[in-house]
Amino acid sequence: MSTDMLSIRNLDVHFPISNGQVVRAVDGVTLSLKPGETVGLVGESGSGKTTVGKTVLRLVEATAGEIDIDGLDVRAAGQKGLKALRRKAQIIFQDPHSSLNPRMTIRRAVAEGLILNTSLRGNALREKVAEMLIAMGLPPQFHDRFPHELSGGQKQRVCIARALVLEPDLLVLDEPTSALDVSVQAQILGVLKDLRLSRPRLTQLFISHNLAVIRFLCDRVAVMYLGKIVEEGPVAEVFGDPRHPYTRALLSAVPVPSAVERPERLRLTGDIPSPANVPKGCAFHTRCPIAKVGVCDTRAPEPVPLSSGRQALCHFADQTKGALSA
Amino acid sequence: MTDSSTPTLEIRDFSLVFDTFDGTYHAIDKVNLTLRPGEAMGLVGETGCGKSVLTRAAFGLVPTPPARITSGSVTLEGRELLGLSDRALRGVRGKDVAMIFQDPMTYLNPVFRIGTQLVDAIRAQSGGKASKAEARALALEMLDKVHLPNPERQFRSYPHELSGGMRQRVLIAMALAAKPKLLIADEPTTALDVTIQAQILDLMAELVEDMGLTMIMISHDLGVVAQVCSRVAVMYAGKIVEDAPIRQIFDAPSHPYTQGLLAALPHPFKPVDKLASIPGSLPDLLNPPEGCRFAARCAKAHAACAAPVDFRTVGPGHEVACTLYDLAETKELAHEH
Ligand SMILES: Nc1ncnc2c1ncn2[C@@H]1O[C@H](COP(=O)(O)OP(=O)(O)OP(=O)(O)O)[C@@H](O)[C@H]1O
Ligand SMILES: Nc1ncnc2c1ncn2[C@@H]1O[C@H](COP(=O)(O)OP(=O)(O)OP(=O)(O)O)[C@@H](O)[C@H]1O
Ligand code: SF4
Ligand code: SF4
Ligand SMILES: [Mg+2]
Ligand SMILES: [Mg+2]
Repeated sequence: MSTDMLSIRNLDVHFPISNGQVVRAVDGVTLSLKPGETVGLVGESGSGKTTVGKTVLRLVEATAGEIDIDGLDVRAAGQKGLKALRRKAQIIFQDPHSSLNPRMTIRRAVAEGLILNTSLRGNALREKVAEMLIAMGLPPQFHDRFPHELSGGQKQRVCIARALVLEPDLLVLDEPTSALDVSVQAQILGVLKDLRLSRPRLTQLFISHNLAVIRFLCDRVAVMYLGKIVEEGPVAEVFGDPRHPYTRALLSAVPVPSAVERPERLRLTGDIPSPANVPKGCAFHTRCPIAKVGVCDTRAPEPVPLSSGRQALCHFADQTKGALSA
Repeated sequence: MTDSSTPTLEIRDFSLVFDTFDGTYHAIDKVNLTLRPGEAMGLVGETGCGKSVLTRAAFGLVPTPPARITSGSVTLEGRELLGLSDRALRGVRGKDVAMIFQDPMTYLNPVFRIGTQLVDAIRAQSGGKASKAEARALALEMLDKVHLPNPERQFRSYPHELSGGMRQRVLIAMALAAKPKLLIADEPTTALDVTIQAQILDLMAELVEDMGLTMIMISHDLGVVAQVCSRVAVMYAGKIVEDAPIRQIFDAPSHPYTQGLLAALPHPFKPVDKLASIPGSLPDLLNPPEGCRFAARCAKAHAACAAPVDFRTVGPGHEVACTLYDLAETKELAHEH
């Protein structure tokens, strides 16, 4: 376990809502990332992806469970521990516009974290900031500009520079390209992929709806449904042969940039349940096309280990191969 | 009056500028588009290239000033729309042309029930001729057509009680109730997650096939367009640069900009090592180049590109505005990557 960069064990995050009810935003999530690994987190809107990301950085408090970043116990960390955590782990959000202070030049935005967290000052500070911005494809003539003088893609690169300049080991990226054009998205994805070579220890948790982006960037992928990870494994294998019925539905719904290869659509019917009122048994049984009455609606499945480090949370995970395409 | 030779929509030589403090912004330049009855066309291109302005201005939805239409004609089943009074255009939009937009919440009033809003819209579409009961019956029929589960119950719901996908269906139902000749869908699924996006796209494909709907679907995602449309027009900096059957766009993209768009797209089911992004940015349309507007970013630009570039036909129904397709030697260059 000590070899993991990020280790999440049995994480629960519950939000209290009116009349004593709770939203089980995250419900028993276990996930670990080895140093240098990039892991994708996908799933339906509202399934708890952002909440997992924020809890890792302690922007949201966990209800139960354990989180370690490179051996540091995140939930138990005091003032000093949190300061170390801020250097070790950084998060990047979807909307670069609201993440940047409109009255700060981008040079200043990137320097800020270094001033707060290190003793670097003067020329050394200036140089480090300039170097980082240039590495992100922002030449010196941009460094004294304000955010409104930059395009969306340039702003997102500033956010990445600001996070990386602290040399974190863990980067959580929450939909970092979904507000951007495809060509600009390609630039940012290129930057992130290059980082994997230049910073071999940098570990990334990449949250996205865009499965093509996940396929491009990630080693492994975890699929969430109603607060739980329902399937996990190497990205090529999960996308090539999904075993959980929800993963299958998700993959069959992806728009494919080609006129010919459209996979057969697997349609989900039934109402989408609320995380304030999670169905009994398997949480997916109200929409699952292969749910078995008397099994799925009464017994919650345990993760079923499959070949090559894969697992799926379904009573029939080892039998579903090909079962749905017929 | 309509036979197969009368296009549903024909936009010819359409140009539009915005008069701004900094000067004249040449937003749309000499656009030609023809839609036959029952055809579904995708309109793609990067943010700010003019997709929304073009499709809105054609139906009088861009305020003039600051906009000014400087040339062209727009005909709907042969009838000229440019120059019609505001009142007449409102009639066209309510009845013959329906539009749906990206964010359904903006177009639904949060304080009224779904049913009330649908009934009111349908009565307005009919010019007040439909009775409440008739409008209600039609509304329920349309909700059923867009596969909204339990229409009777949704009728009494407020917008916030529906999911994003359900709200978008309500708007599609509202748009289709008037039995429009043309539907314009401007980024109809961008705000939705993939499973719900797929349901809406399925629905749109079904409407095109079963109801013979003629449609323009605007998106910057070629994958989304491929799900519904048989044809695509690619727009760059206010000009259409390529117009082709959907298969041709994927199999033989011809304009260097289209090639760039495709090379930038990751694929969910294929390992891709490197994505190519298109260097540079849109040209300054206060001062647009006289020749090809893509030239400053085009790796294959040459002397001939400095003069205005017309369409060349490179295949059946496949046109491209690029000088590479004139000479044997440049044709070879065109498909080198
Ligand atoms: N502060 C909060 N109070 C109450 N409920 C919350 C809070 N934050 C999140 N939730 C709920 O927790 C669930 C998970 O939300 P989360 O934002 O993590 O989902 P997500 O998977 O990131 O979704 P999306 O793909 O739409 O971004 C949702 O039902 C959400 O409404
Ligand atoms: N009122 C206006 N005054 C000046 N310029 C305008 C005005 N409205 C739009 N524009 C400009 O016209 C161009 C085309 O805008 P349009 O909204 O059509 O782009 P789009 O292709 O729909 O982009 P997106 O994909 O982001 O929706 C943009 O550069 C925009 O800044
Ligand atoms: S356990 Fe049952 S309901 Fe759940 S995913 Fe598997 S088959 Fe479907
Ligand atoms: S006309 Fe010239 S500059 Fe324009 S796309 Fe073709 S080759 Fe490039
Ligand atoms: Mg989220
Ligand atoms: Mg637009």
